[in-house]
Amino acid sequence: MSFGSPYVTLPDFTYHRPTTIEEVLKILKEHGDEAKVMGGGVGLLAFMKERLMSPSHVIDIKGVKELGGADYVPGRGLRIGASVTIAELCQNDLIQDKFTVLHEALSRVADQMIRGRATLVGNLCEAIPWVDSPPALISLDATVEVVGPGGRRKVPVASFIKGPVDIDLGPEEMVASVEVPDVSGMRSTFEKFTSGSEFSLASIAVTLQSQGRKRTARVVYGAVNSTPVRCQEVEQVLEQETSRASIRRAADTAADKVECMSDVLASSDYRKHLVKVVTTKALGRLLQK
Amino acid sequence: MRDLALMVNGQSRSLRAKDNLLLLDLLRDGLEVRSVKAACWRGECGLCTVLLNGSLVKSCLVLAAEANGGEVTTVEGISEGEKLTPIQEAFVEHGATQCGFCTPAWVLTTHELLKANPNPSEKEVEEAVGGLLCRCGTYNEIREAVADASKAYAKARKSIVQRAR
Repeated sequence: MSFGSPYVTLPDFTYHRPTTIEEVLKILKEHGDEAKVMGGGVGLLAFMKERLMSPSHVIDIKGVKELGGADYVPGRGLRIGASVTIAELCQNDLIQDKFTVLHEALSRVADQMIRGRATLVGNLCEAIPWVDSPPALISLDATVEVVGPGGRRKVPVASFIKGPVDIDLGPEEMVASVEVPDVSGMRSTFEKFTSGSEFSLASIAVTLQSQGRKRTARVVYGAVNSTPVRCQEVEQVLEQETSRASIRRAADTAADKVECMSDVLASSDYRKHLVKVVTTKALGRLLQK
Repeated sequence: MRDLALMVNGQSRSLRAKDNLLLLDLLRDGLEVRSVKAACWRGECGLCTVLLNGSLVKSCLVLAAEANGGEVTTVEGISEGEKLTPIQEAFVEHGATQCGFCTPAWVLTTHELLKANPNPSEKEVEEAVGGLLCRCGTYNEIREAVADASKAYAKARKSIVQRAR
């Protein structure tokens, strides 16, 4: 007997539920490109229904203990395992207090049911231009820990995302975790503009760290181009001055310098306008804190 | 093909299914639990929402194999037989059930919200049900129904607390 939707089906595949990283790597080695790693599955299953991907092996990593859990070690930072859901991270008070930009970005991902399944690593690995976590992670100087036949390697999130739906990951490799370095005296925030759905048309992640008189800013825009865009000109504005007047200067600088694309969702001119809007909103909130 | 065994609304069920079967299709077609609605199949409308091991999930985004050995609760699992629950009563009272297609998902989600937070703010309600779509557009009526039902939940919790004292 067979059943299933006559309208939307998944391609045929074999489901695997390994319990160790070694087992995952073994299946990947055996099947290469024919195998896909599944965290929450919200992205992978959607891609498979659209036949954008048709792996013949799906490796569910939720049974791998080592890939669960988010641990913070003072001085070292935060390590988030590949199977940790976005909802789990949203409930983490330490992330809310210390890495506010990440908390704010993750609380605005899709909806409650999706966040309960979707993982941060999955969100990152989709590398879709409008997903929310990459700008926040880049503003925090986060790195991705990749494991494969050659051992472990670490890649900054900024270079891990090579292009839309294109990441620095070999067919026999998997992402084990994301690491966020520790910081002190940091203020940060995330803002996004959406229209009619939770998909972002422009987003911004800002971190501002003071050490004595020295101030370091990181400003990263999402959804405005095919990959997240860091804007050093806006960072310089904030490193010089954080008065109310600097908000306007930063917003104008952003609209001038951030390269925006045109697509079916919005024109580049409209995105430039939105860049100004999200910059003003984010900095307004951050500098009043 | 794979043998699956799971608890659905407190009853143990088992069946043989292909690895590519969705939890949604397992529930509707395999086990004939038709309160779980199928509309978009892409995680957008939320009408296939069920509880999997205590968490709300969109069952069109979960493989049946992932639920193997687990526990699934649908709206039948929280109902009280022929008697309407305060949430169901409030939905009827406020006319929040126009075509009724999305109602099971709303009732289940509202139940989970009020169980955890019997007195939610408007923003908390919006946040909790943000993943559900009603194509009749009865959102105002649903909002009113949730607010009304929350009074019953808050009252029930109060009486439980008083009895415990």
